[in-house]
Formats: sequence, structure tokens, C-alpha cells
Amino acid sequence: MFSARASLEYTWHVTAAPLLEAKGLTKRYGNTIALDAVDFQVHAGVTGLLGANGAGKSTAIKLFLGLLTPTEGSAEVMGQKAYESVEVRARLGYMPEHDCLPSAINASEFLAHMAQVSGLPPTQARVRAADALRHVGLHEERYRPLNEFSTGMKQRVKLAQALVHDPVLVLLDEATAGLDPGGREEMLELIRRTSHEAGISVLLSSHLMGDIDRTCDRIIVLDGGHVTEEGAVARFTQETSSIVIEVDAGCEELAAALATRGIEGKVDGSSVVVELTDEALYDEIRDAIVEADVRLRRLAPRRGGLADIFRSSPE
Amino acid sequence: MSEARGEIFDLGYHHYDGPRQGRTRARKALWQDGVRTALGIGRGWPSKVLPALLFVAVVFPAVFMSLAAATAEIGDELPTHADYYRIVAVVLFLFSATIAPELLCPDRRDRVIDLYLVRPLTATDYVAARWAAFLSVTLALVWIGQIVLFGGLTLADEEPIEYLRDNWLDVPRFLSAGLVIAIFATTLPLAVSTFTTRRAYAAAIVIALYLVSLPVAGVLSLCGDEESQGTQAAGAPEEKCEPVTGDAAKWFALLSLPEVPMHVSDVIFDEDSGSEFAARVREHPSAVPIGWYVVLTAGPGFVLWWRYRRFRT
Repeated sequence: MFSARASLEYTWHVTAAPLLEAKGLTKRYGNTIALDAVDFQVHAGVTGLLGANGAGKSTAIKLFLGLLTPTEGSAEVMGQKAYESVEVRARLGYMPEHDCLPSAINASEFLAHMAQVSGLPPTQARVRAADALRHVGLHEERYRPLNEFSTGMKQRVKLAQALVHDPVLVLLDEATAGLDPGGREEMLELIRRTSHEAGISVLLSSHLMGDIDRTCDRIIVLDGGHVTEEGAVARFTQETSSIVIEVDAGCEELAAALATRGIEGKVDGSSVVVELTDEALYDEIRDAIVEADVRLRRLAPRRGGLADIFRSSPE
Repeated sequence: MSEARGEIFDLGYHHYDGPRQGRTRARKALWQDGVRTALGIGRGWPSKVLPALLFVAVVFPAVFMSLAAATAEIGDELPTHADYYRIVAVVLFLFSATIAPELLCPDRRDRVIDLYLVRPLTATDYVAARWAAFLSVTLALVWIGQIVLFGGLTLADEEPIEYLRDNWLDVPRFLSAGLVIAIFATTLPLAVSTFTTRRAYAAAIVIALYLVSLPVAGVLSLCGDEESQGTQAAGAPEEKCEPVTGDAAKWFALLSLPEVPMHVSDVIFDEDSGSEFAARVREHPSAVPIGWYVVLTAGPGFVLWWRYRRFRT
């Protein structure tokens, strides 16, 4: 028996050592390589694991949880391998992508049971079940059978069971899967609150760039079993050296007017994007807009987006 | 007069600072949940019907046998603890075949197993806790019946103290024979349950194994009716019948699954059950039925463990 906020987790926060660390992590299924010698670290905060379906996100999460064993390399959780040390799993929470809730019992009973399976004594488990359900906004529904819950409510229960034992880190696999826009927004807000108010670190796996963009501090991009990008989300969304000229109509005419001035403009939907090489270029753009006789809506430096990561990734 | 006032508190998120009991608590929680599931506790009334019927089916014969002993005349043959197991065993096997899948199949069908295995326990812990939970239920049921019977026989005797002194050895015998029967009734249905997520399929397979093995073993090891009864002239010396499989009949008699733990029970009680299968099996030394029982419990036990090992690959 050991105390909850034990020295283990404080050591990790104080020393800023990684919560998760992949070292040469490889997982093969027969001839298929799901992860190919990847190295990355996950620190405190909200980290996004971004990648298309089949990129290796779920495999990476299962390796950290100890559900899979690596073919080569290691997946360490707070310095320990989850597939070798079961005790370290008491400090992890996991919300799988798929359905994983029993149908016959109510939310409160299910969460109290999962808290006990995480090592909490029965009385404290019941208190934690109530706290976790309150955190996800299901306190009023706690005695309803789980088979009467909507998809959005089930997602919340899945998150609650991942938090019920007060973990240091939760791993959320496609947490917004199957939710309508309203439910998705609520879930993202819940994830933000879990990290910012509760101080629980989050690893959020998703193929939706919007989810990562709105929720995460850092990002790890997986593609075909390789890490292609890694860093702060702000780094990918800062201003670029391009200028976006957004017009009501007449993008082609504007591009042609720019071309007569020796400026290359790329048409992108209702905008023309120009590479800013010189401040004097703004005067040329103004003249081109007048010459093309188009109505200007916006002229601003272009900001990077997470979508650019995939555009720039090698095939 | 003071003005009524209210305040709203934002409880926020509370961290947990209490004790964490790790793997031991996790195993205990799974065991408790398994017992509750087997008995239908915390579930709707349909889940309670089968366990309640099983309880009645197991305890009623013990009460009836006690009453029969109390009203018996001097010289009448009293029912024994071995008789009780012969009466309740088949009912116990059929009911356990129906209830046991409830402990494993829904966890895999609903994929709750994925949530268990990311917590501080292993797949072996999980399956051992479930097995122990169902064993506890079956063991409690058979022992309760025997305790009722032992109490009834003691009280029915004119000299209860004398009865206790003369028959105290029945207690370790019925406890150990009950353990033998309960382990068998637990392990086989749970092992079969690892092959399907549908409870009904698992129950049907186990019941079919019991029901099919009985006539198969009968055909291969016992004498036909006309052979053993009809062809013998009145007053003629008794002839030993010859089963179709000849000398191998004593081996085929072992195929009847419901009889397997009963042969071991007979060895423990050192009694002759009087059944034709038992007569064939008695041609073997005791080590043979005991060894066969070990094979038929250790084998499914290994399957049970091995099937859950695949959850970590």
C-alpha cells in the first residue's frame, strides 16, 4: 500500500522527466510494421498524437499501457515498462476508442468497481466514482443503467472511468469518435478542463487536426509507423512568410495581374497566396488588386496550420 | 429576523490522497464482482432466478434426507454423504454450465476486459479471480447442503454425541469430495466460455458435452438390456455380461463426464455408488480415475489460462 500523490509522480513533475518515453520502439504484426523504431517523449500537459488511420497511434498507446509488448525497443511509463511492472498502471488512465461499457449495471456502480480494480478501497472507490461522474457532468445520471446512455454520455463515462483512480496521465484514443459537433466540442472542453483544472496530463490520439489544434500544447505526428513531426503546437501555427489575399471573386484575374508584375500568386480557394520577399511587394499587390478590379476581403500574413504538416510530409 | 441566504460552491476536481492497495485490491474486487455476478446480486430479478433455483435444488435434498433419517426405523439404511453428492452433482453441473459463462463472456463481448487489463493486474490475475469466484459459489452450495445433512443426521440420531464421535471423519470426506466436485463444475464451463462471447453458446456446448458423453460411454462400456436381463433363464447361475468393447469397456466407462468427479468422490468416501459406470471403473486401481479427473480439470484449467494469455502479445 502506498500513498496516492506518492513520491513517484512528484519526482516526475519536479524533474520534468518525460511521463512516457519511446526508445527505438518497434512493433511488427507478421510482415506488417506498425511502428518502426520510433523515439519520442511525452511530458506533462496535453500532448496530441496525430496521424491518419493505420499510422500507429493505437499501437503506441497499447504499448505504453502494456497491452502489447514491443518487438524491439522500449515503451517506458515514468521510467518503468508497463508490460513488465503492473503497479505503474495504477497511475495511468485509458479511454479506448471502441465501446467498452457493460450494459447491466449503472454508472456509479461501474465506476466504483473500476476504482477498486485500480487499487482503491471500497469506501473511497464509491466517493471517487461520484467525484469522477460529477467532473464529467453525469452526477445526476449516476444511477441510470449504462445501456440507457446516449453515445455522448457513454463517451463521458469512458472518460470518467479513466479518471476515477486519479491517474497522473490519461491516454485517450480517439476521444471524440462518433460524437456530433456539439458533443465533440463538449468532450474537447472536458479534456481541456481535465488537464488545466485537474492537472492531469493527457495524451490525446486523433486523426482530426481540429481536435489536436484546440486541445493540445504539444504534438507528435505519426505517419506509416514513423514520427514525422514533433514539437509545440504553437510552432506549427505561427505566422509564415506568405501573404493571403482573400477576395470576393476573381482570383484568376488577380493572379494574372500579379504575374504581369513578376509576382507568382497561387490560387487557393477564394484566396491568392503570395510569398513575401520584400515590403515593397505590398504596393505591387495593391496595384494588382485595382487593376484586376476585385473586391478585397482580407490581406494578412498567412498562419501555419496542422494541415500543413501533412502537406509537407514526404510521401 | 435573519434573511435566508444561499451560497454556491464550485467543488471542482478533487485529487485522491487515500491509500492505494494495488494488485491485491484489484484481484479482490474482481473476485467479489464474480461472486455477485454468479449469484445475480445487483442485477435484475432474471439474473437471480437460476442461482435461487440452484440453491433450492442443492439444499432441498439435504433437508429431505435429514427428515428421512429422522423418521427412519431402526435397521433402515440411512442416507450417506456420498449419496447426497450423487443426487445433487448432475443438477450442479447443469446449473454451473448455465451460470459460469456469465463471468467471462460479457467482459469480452462488451470489451470491458480491455479496461481491466490496463489496470494493476495481469490476464492471469483476471482469470484466476473469476475462477476463484465461481469456485467459491459452487463450493459454498455443495458444502451448505452437506452441512445441513450432517446436522440433520446428527440431530436425527438418538445419541447425537455418539453419532458425532463415530462419524466425524465424514466431515473431511465431504469437504474434500465437495472440493473435487466444485473444481470440476467450475473449470470445464469456464474453459469452454473462453471460446465464445455468447453465453448461450457456451452453456449449450457444456451441457451437450455432459449429455452426449453419458450415452456414448454407456454404449461403449455397459451391457445392453437384452444381454444383461432378457436372455438369462430363471434360476440359472449369473453370467457376466460382455460389453461390445470387451476388456476396453473399463476405459470407455471413464468417458462419461458427469461421472468423472463422482468416481473420485467414491474413492474419498470409500463407498460403492452402485452405478454400472462405477462398477466398470472399479476394475481400475484408484489412481486411474483420480488421474483422469486431474487431466480433465488441469486440461481445461490450462486452456482457460492460455486463452487469456493472448490478450498480451
